[in-house]
Amino acid sequence: MNPIDDDTLQAYVDGELDAAGSARIDAALAHDEVLARRVQQARALRAQLQALFNPVLDEPVPAHLSALLRPASPQTPSAATPLAAASARRGFGAGRRRTSRRWLVPGAAVAASIAVLAVALWWHTGSGLVRMHNGQQFAAGTLSHALDQALASEPDPHAAVAIGLSFRSTDGRICRTFVAHGTPALAGLACHARAGWSLPALSAAEKPAGGELRQAASDLPPAVQAAVDARIRGEAFDARQERAARDDGWR
Amino acid sequence: MDPSQAVREGLLPLLPRLRRLARALAGQTADADDLVQIVLERALSRAAQWRPDAALDKWVFAIARNAWRDELRARGRSQNLFAPEEAGVTAADATSAPAQTLDLAAALAALPPDHREVVALVLVEGLSYSETADLLGVPVGTVTSRLARARATLQAHLGKDA
Repeated sequence: MNPIDDDTLQAYVDGELDAAGSARIDAALAHDEVLARRVQQARALRAQLQALFNPVLDEPVPAHLSALLRPASPQTPSAATPLAAASARRGFGAGRRRTSRRWLVPGAAVAASIAVLAVALWWHTGSGLVRMHNGQQFAAGTLSHALDQALASEPDPHAAVAIGLSFRSTDGRICRTFVAHGTPALAGLACHARAGWSLPALSAAEKPAGGELRQAASDLPPAVQAAVDARIRGEAFDARQERAARDDGWR
Repeated sequence: MDPSQAVREGLLPLLPRLRRLARALAGQTADADDLVQIVLERALSRAAQWRPDAALDKWVFAIARNAWRDELRARGRSQNLFAPEEAGVTAADATSAPAQTLDLAAALAALPPDHREVVALVLVEGLSYSETADLLGVPVGTVTSRLARARATLQAHLGKDA
């Protein structure tokens, strides 16, 4: 067997090798103690760095920073209007302007256009709905935000992510099901962890029929439903429990 | 959509990660949050440049990395924002980190910026080699060689104290 160089070993530890490459290192590790120790050291360094900086994720964000991201005056429909009109002329979605929510009423035609806007918004917020962290999938961006903030008891029919059930799992963590409308639509199970919302189940969802934007939790794909059944302890939260859990930071 | 509003809404949930990256780059909590503020202001002023098909996190991380490098330059010839000892004490001020992670913070702060940024992006933030290479505008091979050298330095430091 060829000797394993440092670059290859590093790529192995960082999850950058393909399956064949990883398998080759796995095999070598089984009978090479020196190699195994190097891998262990590299993993330990990575873990120590995570332990040093991940607590920042749990710190409250200083108000002066989050304030920078709020529009100066929420009352002003504003300067945004000409811009939005201009972008509408170019055919680009004016999806989530605060001012537009009020006049978006249910109805097939309107719903269809909302769906188009939702998709535009979806891609607008980027492909960043899922991030990888130590080889695990975590919610990111809009998805992470919805899991943190949205309540199934107060559904927003125009939100890009609909929350279904929330419950406490057998390992004590709080988990929530969701459907993220987009192309493709995704459904999944998210469980709250120190590093964010891990995603033990993620699956393509059926496109909701007939312009129906929200998808009931009962419509979850079988893989997601199975993940719920495997974890749920007791009953799903009711509206009061869901709100209390949010107020408590999903702990 | 008003691009600035899309960027505002997208950045809000990214704030914890942005703060973590800033902490890994700049070390001290207060300096890291100053860096985050600069990054947010730049991101909002450049919101029109953000392409909707680009992931917002990578876009804002690139702004953060560039702002950090600008700050390093502005602070003069010193390669590091802080003396290693100082960073070692302060990087962990919000945590009750054991002695070994204090040493790690000091070792990280003592790395040259080229090395520190790949450690921050790959090992702390969890970006892939190719995402990191794109963000830094260097070939993947440069990322891996910098990362390997940074690891060797950090590991030697930890080994020494262990």
